[in-house]
Amino acid sequence: MPEPSTQVSYSRPVPEAGGAAQAAPEVVDAVFDIADLNFWYGANRALRDVSLRIGRQEITALIGPSGCGKTTFLRCLNRMNDLLPDTRIEGRLDFDGEPLYRPGVQAIEIRRRIGMVFQKPNPFPKSIYDNVAIAPKVNGMKVNLDDLVEESLSRAALWNEVKDKLKQSAFSLSGGQQQRLCIARTIAVKPEVILMDEPCSALDPLATIRIEELMTELKSDYTIVIVTHNMQQAARVSDRTAFFTVEDHPEGRSGVLVESGPTHKIFTAPSDQRTDDYITGRFG
Amino acid sequence: MSLKRRLTDRIFWVVCGVAFLLIAAPSISVLVSVFHQAVPALGWQLFSHRTNAKATGLQNAILGSLILLGGVLVVAGSVGVAAGIYLAEYATGRTEKLLRFFSEILAGMPSIVIGYIAYLTLVVQFHWGYSLLAAVIALSALVLPYIVKTTEVALRQVPTAIREAGAGLGMPRTATLTRMLLPTALPGIVSGLIVALAISTGELAPLLFTAGFTDTNPKLQLLHQQVPYLTNVIYTDISLPGSRAHATAAAAGLLSLLLLVILITAGRLVARRARRQTARMSL
Ligand SMILES: Nc1ncnc2c1ncn2[C@@H]1O[C@H](COP(=O)(O)OP(=O)(O)OP(=O)(O)O)[C@@H](O)[C@H]1O
Ligand SMILES: [Mg+2]
Repeated sequence: MPEPSTQVSYSRPVPEAGGAAQAAPEVVDAVFDIADLNFWYGANRALRDVSLRIGRQEITALIGPSGCGKTTFLRCLNRMNDLLPDTRIEGRLDFDGEPLYRPGVQAIEIRRRIGMVFQKPNPFPKSIYDNVAIAPKVNGMKVNLDDLVEESLSRAALWNEVKDKLKQSAFSLSGGQQQRLCIARTIAVKPEVILMDEPCSALDPLATIRIEELMTELKSDYTIVIVTHNMQQAARVSDRTAFFTVEDHPEGRSGVLVESGPTHKIFTAPSDQRTDDYITGRFG
Repeated sequence: MSLKRRLTDRIFWVVCGVAFLLIAAPSISVLVSVFHQAVPALGWQLFSHRTNAKATGLQNAILGSLILLGGVLVVAGSVGVAAGIYLAEYATGRTEKLLRFFSEILAGMPSIVIGYIAYLTLVVQFHWGYSLLAAVIALSALVLPYIVKTTEVALRQVPTAIREAGAGLGMPRTATLTRMLLPTALPGIVSGLIVALAISTGELAPLLFTAGFTDTNPKLQLLHQQVPYLTNVIYTDISLPGSRAHATAAAAGLLSLLLLVILITAGRLVARRARRQTARMSL
C-alpha cells in the first residue's frame, strides 16, 4: 500500500502478525453482548447508544480520546458504577446470555466473575501474601491458600521476584511489581473476565512489556478488556479494537462508539474517518 | 540568597517563635502555679485516703473519675464509632442528613445545658437520682460528636482505591470495611477517642447535675448511687476557707492534668503502634 504522500509524518501502528491478525471479522462467541447502552452521571449522559459484542478468550482494546467514556463503559461491565450515587444505566448488557443488570443479580457475585485491574496500582495496605489471599479467603473459596498464592503470583510473572518476601508490605514493591500483584490478586479469585483500565499508564516501557506478555499469556483462559491510550499497545496485544469518541449533542457531550472490529482492520482500514484521524495521530 | 529573602526568612522564624511562646507559656505557667499550690497536699495519702474533713485524700475522687472515663469509653466509644462508620460508609439521603443534623446540634450544645437536660430527664424524670449511669450518659452526649466526626474523617481519608479494590474482587463491603478500612483508619479513630476522654477528664458542668458527690469510694452501681470525681473536688474545695482545702483542690487539678498527659501519651503510643502494624500489614 503506497503511503499517502502528503502525510508521511503520520505513522500507523501495525498490528503484529502473532495473535491480532487472526481475529474473525465478527465476534462468534460473545461473552458480553451490549446493545444501545446509555449511561448517565446525574443529568450528564456519558455514553450514548453503545453497541458492542466482546468475544470469549479474546483481548478487546478500548481506545479513544480522553473523556470519551472508556472507563465509564468498562465499569459498567462489572457493575462497578453501582458504587456511584446518582447514576443510571439503560440498554442491553448481557453477560453470558443473561442480563447483567437484572434485578436479583448480586453485584458482588458479578465482580467475582469479572475482575478489574485499575489504572493506578492499588494494593491493599497488607503483605504481598495477604493481598493475593484475602479475597479468596473472605469469599469463602475452598482452596489451599498457599498454593493459590503461588499459582496466582506465578501466572502474573511475579513469583520469582517475591517468593522470599511474601510477608513484606505490598508497598515495598515497585510500581510495575505492584501492578502485577494487582493482576495476581485478580486472577486468584478465578474470574472469567479481566477488565483493565490503562494498566500500564504508570509503568515504564519494560514493565509495560511484561504486562503485555502477561495479557497474551492469560488470553488462553480469560476474556480481557483493556482500556489504553497507547495505540502501539492496542495494536500489539489486542484481537479486537473498539474506538470511542466524544460527540456534541443538543443536551451535552456524550461518548459514542464509532466503530469496532478486528484490530488489524481498525488499524489498517478503518471505515470511519474519525478512527483514521485518531489512530494516525491527526486527532485535534 | 538576596537580602530581601533572608529578611523574610528571619521574620518568619521570629513569628513562629512568638507563636510557640504564646501557646507554650500559658500551659507552662498554669502547670507551675498549680504545682506550687498543690505542694502542701502532695503525698501518698492522696491515693490512700478518701476526701474528708481530716485528710487531704483523693482516693474516692480518683476512682470515680476513672470509672466515669471507662463508662464514657464504653458508651460514647461504641455509639460514636458505630455512628461514624455508618456516616462514612453506609448512610445516604435523609438518614444521613438527619444524623448529621443531630450530631451538629449536640456538638454546639453548651455542656451545662446537656447536664441540665440529663438532670431533668434521667435524674428526676426517670428517678435514677444522682448516679453513675446518668453521669456517664451526660458526659457521653458531650463527647459523642467528636468521636463521630473523627471516626468519619479517619475512614474518609482511606483512599477510595482501597474500597474499589475490595469491590473489584467481589469482597463484601463489610469485609473490606473490617479488614482494610478500619485498620487503616484506626490511628485516627483512637486519637478521636483519646480527645473525647481528655475532654471528659476536664469537664465539670454535666457532672454537677448528674453525678453528685460522696466521701465514700464509688461502687460499680449504675443507679441511685452518687459518684465522686476530681473536678468536683477542685470546684468545691477552692471555694472553701482554709489553705488545706485549697491545696487539695490544687492537687486534684494536678492529678487531672497528669491523667490528661497519660491519656495523650497513651493515645500517641496506640496510634503509632497501629500505624506500624498497618505498615507491616499482616492479616
Ligand atoms: N464519577 C463521575 N461523576 C460524574 N461524571 C463523571 C464521573 N466519571 C466520569 N465522568 C464524566 O464522564 C465522561 C467520561 O469519563 P470517563 O472517565 O469514562 O472517560 P475516559 O474515556 O475513561 O477518559 P480518560 O481517557 O481520560 O480516562 C467525562 O465527561 C467525565 O467527566
Ligand atoms: Mg479513563
